[in-house]
Amino acid sequence: MLALAWANLTHHKLRTALSALAVGIGIMLMLVSRGLADGSLAEVNQRMQSVNAELVILPAQDNIIFTNGAPFRASHERRLLTLSDAHGPLATAVIPVFFGQVQMGGQQQRLFGVDPAQMPLFLASYRVVAGELFDRASAFADRVRAGATAPASMSDPAYAAYIADGLELVIDERLQRVGNYQLGDQVQIMGQVFRIVGIIETGVAGRVFAPLQTLREIVVAGEPTASMYFVKLRPGLDAAATADRFQSEFAADVRVELKSEYGHLLRASFASVSLYLNASSGVALAACFLFILLTMYTMVIERTREIGILKSLGVTRLGLVRLSVHEALLISLGGVAIGLALAYGVRALLAVIKPLLTVDFGGDDWLIAVLVGVAGGTLSALYPGYRAARLDPAVALSRE
Amino acid sequence: MNDALMIDVAGLHHAYTHGAVVEPVLHGLQLQVRRGEFVVIMGPSGCGKTTLLNVLGLMLTPTQAERLCIAGRDTRGLSDADRTALRRAALGFVFQRFNLLPTLNVRGNVGLPLRLRGAVADGQVDRLIERVGLSAYAHKKPAYLSVGQQQRVAIARAVVGAPALLLADEPTGNLDSANASAILELLSELHREQGQTVVMITHNEQLAIKADRVLHMRDGCFVD
Repeated sequence: MLALAWANLTHHKLRTALSALAVGIGIMLMLVSRGLADGSLAEVNQRMQSVNAELVILPAQDNIIFTNGAPFRASHERRLLTLSDAHGPLATAVIPVFFGQVQMGGQQQRLFGVDPAQMPLFLASYRVVAGELFDRASAFADRVRAGATAPASMSDPAYAAYIADGLELVIDERLQRVGNYQLGDQVQIMGQVFRIVGIIETGVAGRVFAPLQTLREIVVAGEPTASMYFVKLRPGLDAAATADRFQSEFAADVRVELKSEYGHLLRASFASVSLYLNASSGVALAACFLFILLTMYTMVIERTREIGILKSLGVTRLGLVRLSVHEALLISLGGVAIGLALAYGVRALLAVIKPLLTVDFGGDDWLIAVLVGVAGGTLSALYPGYRAARLDPAVALSRE
Repeated sequence: MNDALMIDVAGLHHAYTHGAVVEPVLHGLQLQVRRGEFVVIMGPSGCGKTTLLNVLGLMLTPTQAERLCIAGRDTRGLSDADRTALRRAALGFVFQRFNLLPTLNVRGNVGLPLRLRGAVADGQVDRLIERVGLSAYAHKKPAYLSVGQQQRVAIARAVVGAPALLLADEPTGNLDSANASAILELLSELHREQGQTVVMITHNEQLAIKADRVLHMRDGCFVD
């Protein structure tokens, strides 16, 4: 029956190719949207894991993907630093991060505002490949820590002189390569001109770093606020138990999580977007399989006489359904192969035109593509197969 | 049930229903065909020959039959699956319009009944193709064959599984006289060689001379 199905399909090459292409486009859409989501989330999580800390402190109600602004105040940082047990403070370092946005490398980037003095905790084992981890910004941060204050008005000429040392950026190699940035290049951020002073290996938490004190000055007039904290614990402490201890110290609007859980939090925050992506892919795939159903149904209508011949030769009703399913499965599996090829092609294309996007195809994506193809092909063949099976052989043979 | 009979039919009625209109076609037919017999049924168009052949071929369930034994089995009350199985195992068809599958080549068409039975062809498909003189066309699809060649392929397909009963519905109806004679010769040779029971419908009196028996139909009945 498989040979007969194959013969039927190759007899209508163009129709078969178009049907397989339709399935392929649906599979490609599904794989690329999943791959983009998975790749981006995995990359962000992997980069966050590089920070030398065990806990993350996040605003409880916020979607962590879109965490911006600075909901945490100085009092939060003080409590994180002072919470102790009999052996002393639980945290050896509290690392505030102030998030902003910057347009670099052809797309929006999350700007990590970090204290220059704490940059080594972000760098961990990654190297500085050019320039340095901030230059004059370190001195600017020191002045702010020592109590220096900015002139009241940003239009005051003294303000520009005050903040000038803090207008520095450190970027990673991937962004440097994509944007063809060089040390000393200037980037406009929130009305100020920043200068690239360092390039670090790809893999650190952010692609773009600016001094925490500078962002605070520009956005919240120097208030010591933060978007989130990383907390490095005293060696020997149980991270999960300590996270619970921290959590009990804060109100419900603060969320204390293990850094190792950040990936799950990302996925949870992305759930609604995933739902939308899956729904879109599902609709696209349903349309593709309706195309197959229509193709198979048309074939049944066109081949009424052939179905009569097969029945006269002793093909059972189930055999005709199987024939229809085999044909649809061959189209679907061909579509899966085309879809995989297209998906890898799109990934290669994105690597050229949007190199900062990460498309990740896992082994389960292949499996899902095949399962979707098999299930969709089978379902879309059942009704046409049923129609074929119900045909009366004598009537079918009398059709023109 | 008489084992010497390939076909044993009595009180066979059939009527087609088109909405509220009932059109009787077969009127209490009685037919007995011995195993190995070559029977020709003749009659004008619309007299019910093809309907009778469809009933004998288990492709049409008659409105009423007192007895309907085909290949030694009472087929009344058989399920669709059982009728299909009996058709696959014991019957072969040759149609006026050949009814070859256009998607398969000559070898594929001839070998299909064996494949459907799950049988191994074991060279018999090629031998039969050679027997009907189409070895050179074994890889051709029907569209590339003449009508005479297509009917020879159809005959090869009908007999490849050595069915006990071969039903032929005007097999020469679409052929010129030369091809018609060749096809009839082929059918009678195969009948002699394989000993199958053959029931053939034809309009052509001259073609009936090869038959053991000629039956005439008119208005849904056999006539003397």
